[in-house]
Amino acid sequence: MLSEDKLQKIKEFTSTLSREELIWLNGYISGKAGSLQPSAAGGALTAGIPKKITLAYGTETGNAKKLATQLAGIAKKKGIGVKLAGLDQYRFTDLAKEEYFFVVISTQGEGEPPLLAKKFYDQLHETQVELKKMKFGVLGLGDTSYAQFCKTGEDVDARLEALGAHRVLPLKKCDVDYEEDALHWIDNVVTALQTLVGSVPAMAPPAPAEEKKPTGKKHYKGTIVTSVNLNDRGSNKETYHVEVSTDEDLDYLPGDALGIIPPNCDAAVEQIISLTGIDPNLEIQTSKVTAPVKELLQKHLNILYPLKTTIKQYAKITGHEIPEDTRLSLPDLLKIYPVKDAGMFEEIVKILTAQAPRLYSISSAPGNHGLNEIHITVSKDEFYVEDEKRTGVSSEYFSTKPVGTEFEFFIQKQKHFRLPSEDKDVIMIGPGTGIAPFRSFIAERDAQAASGRNWLFFGEQHFVTDFLYQTELQDYLQTGALTNLDVAFSRDQKEKIYVQHRMKERGAELYEWLSNGAYMYISGKREPTSKDVEKMLVEIFREHGNKTEEEAEKFLHQLVEEGRWEKDVY
Amino acid sequence: MSEQSPVEKIKIASRGLRGTLKESLQDNYTGAVREDDTQLMKFHGMYQQDDRDRREERSAKKLEWLYSFMLRLRLPGGFLTPEQWIAMHHVAGDHSTGTIKITTRQTIQLHGILKSHIKPTMQSFNLAGLDSIATCGDVNRNVCCTSNPGESPVHEEVFRFASKISEMAKPKTRAWYEIWIGEEKIGEKVEEDPLYKDRYLPRKLKIGIAVPPNNDVDLFINDIGLIAIIENDKLIGFNLAAGGGLGTTHGNPNTYARLASVLGFVENDEEKILKAVYETITVQRDFGNRSDRKLSRLKYTIDKLGVDKYREEVEQRCGFKLQPAKPFQFTERQDRYGWVKDYKGNWHYTVFIENGRVLDGEGIDLKSCLYKIAETGKCNFRFTANQNVILTDIKEADKAAVEVLLNEFGLIEHTNKAGALRKNAIACVAFNTCPLALAEAQRYLPTLISKIEPLLEKHSMKEDDIILRMTGCPNGCGRSPNAEIGFVGTAYGKYNLHIGGDRLGLRLNTKFKDSLNEEQILDTLDNLFDVYQKEKKQEETFGDFSYRKWIL
Repeated sequence: MLSEDKLQKIKEFTSTLSREELIWLNGYISGKAGSLQPSAAGGALTAGIPKKITLAYGTETGNAKKLATQLAGIAKKKGIGVKLAGLDQYRFTDLAKEEYFFVVISTQGEGEPPLLAKKFYDQLHETQVELKKMKFGVLGLGDTSYAQFCKTGEDVDARLEALGAHRVLPLKKCDVDYEEDALHWIDNVVTALQTLVGSVPAMAPPAPAEEKKPTGKKHYKGTIVTSVNLNDRGSNKETYHVEVSTDEDLDYLPGDALGIIPPNCDAAVEQIISLTGIDPNLEIQTSKVTAPVKELLQKHLNILYPLKTTIKQYAKITGHEIPEDTRLSLPDLLKIYPVKDAGMFEEIVKILTAQAPRLYSISSAPGNHGLNEIHITVSKDEFYVEDEKRTGVSSEYFSTKPVGTEFEFFIQKQKHFRLPSEDKDVIMIGPGTGIAPFRSFIAERDAQAASGRNWLFFGEQHFVTDFLYQTELQDYLQTGALTNLDVAFSRDQKEKIYVQHRMKERGAELYEWLSNGAYMYISGKREPTSKDVEKMLVEIFREHGNKTEEEAEKFLHQLVEEGRWEKDVY
Repeated sequence: MSEQSPVEKIKIASRGLRGTLKESLQDNYTGAVREDDTQLMKFHGMYQQDDRDRREERSAKKLEWLYSFMLRLRLPGGFLTPEQWIAMHHVAGDHSTGTIKITTRQTIQLHGILKSHIKPTMQSFNLAGLDSIATCGDVNRNVCCTSNPGESPVHEEVFRFASKISEMAKPKTRAWYEIWIGEEKIGEKVEEDPLYKDRYLPRKLKIGIAVPPNNDVDLFINDIGLIAIIENDKLIGFNLAAGGGLGTTHGNPNTYARLASVLGFVENDEEKILKAVYETITVQRDFGNRSDRKLSRLKYTIDKLGVDKYREEVEQRCGFKLQPAKPFQFTERQDRYGWVKDYKGNWHYTVFIENGRVLDGEGIDLKSCLYKIAETGKCNFRFTANQNVILTDIKEADKAAVEVLLNEFGLIEHTNKAGALRKNAIACVAFNTCPLALAEAQRYLPTLISKIEPLLEKHSMKEDDIILRMTGCPNGCGRSPNAEIGFVGTAYGKYNLHIGGDRLGLRLNTKFKDSLNEEQILDTLDNLFDVYQKEKKQEETFGDFSYRKWIL
C-alpha cells in the first residue's frame, strides 16, 4: 500500500527510535488515523486502542450519571468499548480486575461523597487491595462556592494511586459549568489510551459469534456474588437478578441456559425422616446414585412434585387407595397415606424419580461480563397447593440463598437461539423474565460494537415496580446500543396492554426491519404470549406488507425457515 | 454581557412553552420527561420530583428513581367553590398521594402524580374550571390576597384585583390546553405575548395584596406588593411595593433576602392599578439578569438600578407618576382561627391545618371532614398564606349544620387545642420530594415544636404568638428569613438559627448560630427564652427583644 520510497523513509526513521518511542509513535499514528476517519464510521474500531474501559460514576443528583452516559457515548463513537457502571451497584471485588478504570464523581455538601457512591467510597478507603494493573483517571464534579471543592474526586484519585494504580491523566476538577471541561477530559482519556496501548497486554477479542465445539455437560462451581430482587415494594412479583462468579473460565454464548439440580429444602427432608423413622445414614442404591438416605432426599430425588406414575406406585406399595388426580408432595403423601415402617419407605425411595434439572436463560454476556461471571434472572415461582403457599423448588433456592453461597451448575447449549452476524438487525420480544436472554444479547452486541440495530419489546404488570433492568436498558438506549425500546405494562390502565399491542403500534417499522433482513426472537411463556405474538405478526404482515392472510402466514413461515424467527419459550 | 443561562435558551426555543412535551409523554420507558422539558413543565404548573428516600434502594434494583410530578393550581386569592373542592378531593385520591397540600401562596399542590396520570389529572381539573397554568416557572405565580372576607368591607373589592392581575399576567400561549387537554392547535404560528414575548421573565415573580391591619400574606416578601389603603371604609387605592424575596444560596455572598420597597401610591382606578403592576413586571423583564439565575429576581434588579430609577422607569412606561405613598399600619400577621362574623352578617371559620397537609389519619380526619362539608354546599373554601383553610360565606342559618360536622370530626377541638407557636409556624415541603432540600422541614417541624413547647411553658411564654418558620434549604419557600425564629437547613439534621425578625414581617432576621443539631437548638432556645423573660420590656415581642439584645 505504501510507495517504496515512503516505506524506506519510515524504515530509516524508525530504526533510530527506542522501544518507548516506538510505542508512543504507535499511539500517535493510530490517533492520527482515527482523526482522519469520517465520523460516520461509527462503531469501527480504531486500531491500537484498548477495546474496553470501565467508566464508573458516583452520583447524587444525577448529574454525574448523565455526564458519564454522554461521555460513554462519545468514547464509543471513537471506537472504545465502554462498560458504564454506577458505583451504587459496583461490586468492589471487581476493582482488582479492572485494567482501564475511569471515574466521574461528584462531591456533596461539606466534602462528602454522593449518597449513591458512599459504600464504594468507604470500601475503597477501608480495604487494602492491590491495583497494580489498573490505569485510571478521575473527573471530579463540584461547586467552587463550597470550601471542599471536588474533595471526593481528590480522595478517589489519591486513593487509587496509593493502592498501586497508574494515573494516566491528572485529576480534572470541574465547577458547576462542567460541560466543556468534561468533553475535553474524555478527549484526553482517548488520547491517553492511544499513547498507552502497546505497553499493556491487549484485551481479549470478543467471543466469536460462531458456535464453539460442544463440550458436553461440564459442571462448574460457582459462588453467588450478588442477589437482588428487581421488583420494587408493592409488586405482585419477585424476580431475582443473581450474579455468580467462577474461578474456572466459562464456556457459553448468549442464548445459552444455566442448569442446576436444585437441592430440596431441609425442612421437607427432616419431615420425611421423622414421619418414616428411617435411619438418615442408611445407604440405598437408586437407579442413578447410591448414597445415604438423607443425601438422596436432599440432592438427588424428586420429593416435592412426584409424577403421577410415582404416586400410583406409592399407592401400590403402601396399599392405600389414592385418587388418580392426586398431586401431593412426598411429605404430604406420607402424612395422609403413611407407610407401615422404615422398611416400606426404603422401597418408596427406590421408586422416586431423579431430581430434574431446572434451566434458566443466562442474562449475562461473555463479551461484556467476562468469562468468570454469569447472571441469571429468576422469577420466584409461587403457587398454591390446597390453600398452602408453596414456592418452586429452585426459584426458592435462588431467592433465599445469601451472597457467598456456593453451588454446582452446568451450561445448557441452545444452538438455535443465537445472535446473527454483527451487521444484522435484531428484534427481541421478551416480556417478564423473557428479558433474560436479551439482556445477554444486547450486552454482547454492545461489546462487539455491532453495526446492526437492536430493538427490544418488554412487558410486565406495572411500570413503577416491575420494569426489569430498567436503568440498564435506558443506558443502552442513550448510548445507542438499543435503537428502539417499546414497553407495555398490562395493569397500569383499565384495558390490558401487552407487547403484541406495542408491536401493532410499531407495525410499519417492524415490517420494514423484517423485510430488510432483521432477525427476530421471542423468549417467555408459550401460552398465551408467544401464540398471541404470532397472531399479531400475521396481522402486521397483512396490513403493512399488503398480504393476504395466506401470504402473511407464508412470510412468517419463511422467517422460520431462514432462522430469522426463533423462540425460547416454555 | 455574559452568556444567557441555559434556561433562557430553552424558553426561547420552546415555541410557546410547547418544547417536546408531547414526545416526553410518549417516552413510556421512563417516568421522567426529557431534560429541557423539565424546565417547561414548570410553566405548566408542575415540578418533576422523585422520592429521595427511595433512590438508593431503587438504584440497587436497577429501577430508575421514582419520578413523579408535583402539580400546583392557579387560584388567585386562594378561592374554591364547594363543587371545586369535591373535584379536587377526587383528583387527589385518584392520581396523587392523596394528600392535599395547602401552600404558603394560598393554593394547593398535589404530589406523587406519575407521568401517565398527568393528563387525566389536568382533564379533571379543567372540567371543574381549574388549571395549573403558570403556577411555577419564570412567570407571575399565584397571586396572593388577604384571605378572610371578615377582615374588612373592602375585602371583596380588593380580592377581585387578585383575579384581574392573575389574568393579565397569564401567558397567552394555548400550549396548556393543547398538551394536557387535547385542544387542536390552530395554525403553526406561536401566539403573540406582549408581556412575556418569547423569553418570559428572568425568574419567578410573586405578587401579593394585603388589606391592613393584617399582613397575613407577608406582603414584603413579594416581588410586587399592593397594600390596600382604606379611608372611611372605602378603598381609595394601593401603595405599590417592589423588590421583596427571601431566597439565598449557601456560600454565595452575592445573594440575600430583601423586603420590598414601597414605590408610591396609585388611586383606585382599575386601569391605572393594573398598568402600574404590568409595567413593574416589564421593567424586571427588560432589566433583570438573564445569565445568572441566582441573581435574577426583581430584588437584585431594583438594587442594580436603584429604587428611584426603577420607579422612574415604571412611571415612564405607565405614562403617569406614582403619588407619594400613603401611611398604613399592620398590627398582626396570623390567621384568625375559629368563627368570625363579617359586616354582612355571614360567618367564616378558620381551621388550623398543620403545615397545610389535608389528609386523614394522624389522629384527625381532616380530609373526610372537609369533603363532607363541601358536600353540604353551604360554604366556599379560601386558603390562607399561613397554610390554613377558611370555610367562608356561611349564612347564619347554615352555621349550625357546618358546626355539627366540624365537631363530629373533632376539627374545632383540634383548632382550639393547638398551641400558639404551632399555629403560627410554617415549614416548607423539603424531604422526601423537594430536590433542593438539604434537611427535613415539614416532616420534622411538628416534632421539634413538641419539644420546644415545654420550654415555652417553663418560661411562661405558651400564649405568645411567636412566628417560627423552617426551610430545608436557603431558598426560602417556608419564608423563614422574616420570622422571629427562623431555621434554615444546612445538612441532614443541621440548621442555622436566625433570630431578630419582627412579628409583623417588616424586618428580616439575622443568622445567630451555625448548623445546630436538635439538642443544640433546644439548649440555645432555652437560654434565649430565659434571658427574654428576665430582661424584656413590657409588651416587647420575642423578635423585637432578640433584635435589640443580640443582633443590633
